Amino acid sequence: MRDAFVRTLLDEAKRDKDVVLITGDLGFGVLEKFESELPSQFINAGVAEQSMLGLAAGMASTGKRVFVYSIGNFPTIRALEQIRNDICYMNNSVVIVAVGSGYSYGSQGYTHHALEDIAVMRALPNMNVYSPADPLETELITRELVKNQKPSYLRLGRSGERIFNRNPLTLENGRFNQIHRGKDGTILFTGSIGSNVIEARDFLLTQGIEVGVISIPYISSICKADLESLDSTKPIISVEEHTIRGGLTSALLERISTFRLNIQIVPVTAEQNNLSNIGDQNYLRNMNGLGVPQITSYFFQNN
Amino acid sequence: MKIASAAEELAKAARIEILKMTSFAKASHVGSALSVVDILSVLYSGVTNIRTDNISAKDRDVVILSKGHAASALYSVLALRGFFPKEFLDSYCGNGAKLGGHVTSSELAGVELSTGSLGHGLPYGLGIALSRKIGGDKGKVFVIMSDGECDEGTTWESALLANHHELTNLVVIIDRNRIQSLKDTEETLKLEPFQRKWENFGWNSIDVDGHDFSALSKAMIDENDGPKVIIANTTKGRGVSFMENSVLWHYRSPNDEELSSAIAEIEKRK
Repeated sequence: MRDAFVRTLLDEAKRDKDVVLITGDLGFGVLEKFESELPSQFINAGVAEQSMLGLAAGMASTGKRVFVYSIGNFPTIRALEQIRNDICYMNNSVVIVAVGSGYSYGSQGYTHHALEDIAVMRALPNMNVYSPADPLETELITRELVKNQKPSYLRLGRSGERIFNRNPLTLENGRFNQIHRGKDGTILFTGSIGSNVIEARDFLLTQGIEVGVISIPYISSICKADLESLDSTKPIISVEEHTIRGGLTSALLERISTFRLNIQIVPVTAEQNNLSNIGDQNYLRNMNGLGVPQITSYFFQNN
Repeated sequence: MKIASAAEELAKAARIEILKMTSFAKASHVGSALSVVDILSVLYSGVTNIRTDNISAKDRDVVILSKGHAASALYSVLALRGFFPKEFLDSYCGNGAKLGGHVTSSELAGVELSTGSLGHGLPYGLGIALSRKIGGDKGKVFVIMSDGECDEGTTWESALLANHHELTNLVVIIDRNRIQSLKDTEETLKLEPFQRKWENFGWNSIDVDGHDFSALSKAMIDENDGPKVIIANTTKGRGVSFMENSVLWHYRSPNDEELSSAIAEIEKRK
């Protein structure tokens, strides 16, 4: 996903010199091409995230479309008040890009796990949260982000994500992305946990259970029509590599309450039982309730 | 000198507005506003090219008041220079007011950045300066900070960044009144040797009397070959003898009697 992001941004930035990419001294092996091709549109702010977000806001106030790139919690939680005051309050055109969603950097320890970022970013006024599931969604959203002028947060996985969308992807801005249809239930999800979701669907098919799969990359703009289109007579689960407190499932339930809809959604979220757990992404997903068997279990219970 | 005399006149009128605003609104930070108002008055008396008729120009100068709690000083100076109606000052801090207790930009001409949490103005101003350097745009960026604000980590992150990017278009002015929220800055968190710290970070630095209009304007205008810091030695509560150098007036607002005597003292001065 990060390669799809950088490739797309470079393509857009060549056409629009107001696009600027700032890194917080991260992106080894990822950002070199951008830097060498567009040196005047690239800045390494050093290891100074708070000032980086403040200066990004200042640059945006002069008409630049600023993308700030870093890992995990560094460009978000570390610099939260700069985002709140200098970007959201001032409504400046900055896109915060965090690579390494969820347990992507699993073995690096909890400091590097991004499991509360959606909640924290979603709480801010004027902030728009984007969480693509694969490289195609990433490319589509990156192109949109260059054009729109709003404060935004782009949550990315790491690398090597499988493509599960059809190429070319057509997706209306703000809408659910129905990847598969299914008569026996629905899996809603966001981000790179989609690989486990697709695997769960494939396994369920072998058991004669056909579930629909919907990616939700536009977390800040869940619309009533999309919620109403869900088949609430069958089980619906919401899978996210994020805490239950304030993430995708929270966003869905807030909208369901606001629209007074009668839909029940079962949360499948990162359990965070032991913050000191070390292991790769797959291991930690399994340890925290996000493994393929755990996802499929909700449909066996209900069939 | 033309700038100095214009600034002196502006500062005198602004002081009276500050006293009225903080008194009527029963708002705090009058001491901080009286401390910084001479600096602001110099900036808006010919040092910068910010005028009502070029406010939307991309290459004009920019002033950011990072010590947002001294908002009444910025609002007074801007209103007196015609950036927005003087009546806005009357409702300062009131329900539905345009002017909040900490600098609130909400589409007000001349107010670049809403501030109030310390340590935000410098990185933001640095971003503007960097953007202009890259784009070859003219116009300087002046960021006014308090000395207590230099406790913030972003001050020193940004000190590194400004030097690294050789931002000759960035000027920081520090309102060095030596009093922060509870006590003297040196008792709270030592800043000295203060000027040397900035020099070691690669900045041009000047130490001036922050109430000497000629010295201030010279320091602001003088050429620099890197980012520039002006350490403006000031007196908290300057101009009202019973407010000077007192932590109390970081919080208290003048009652009717104190307001009359304060205004009388300001008016009596030449």
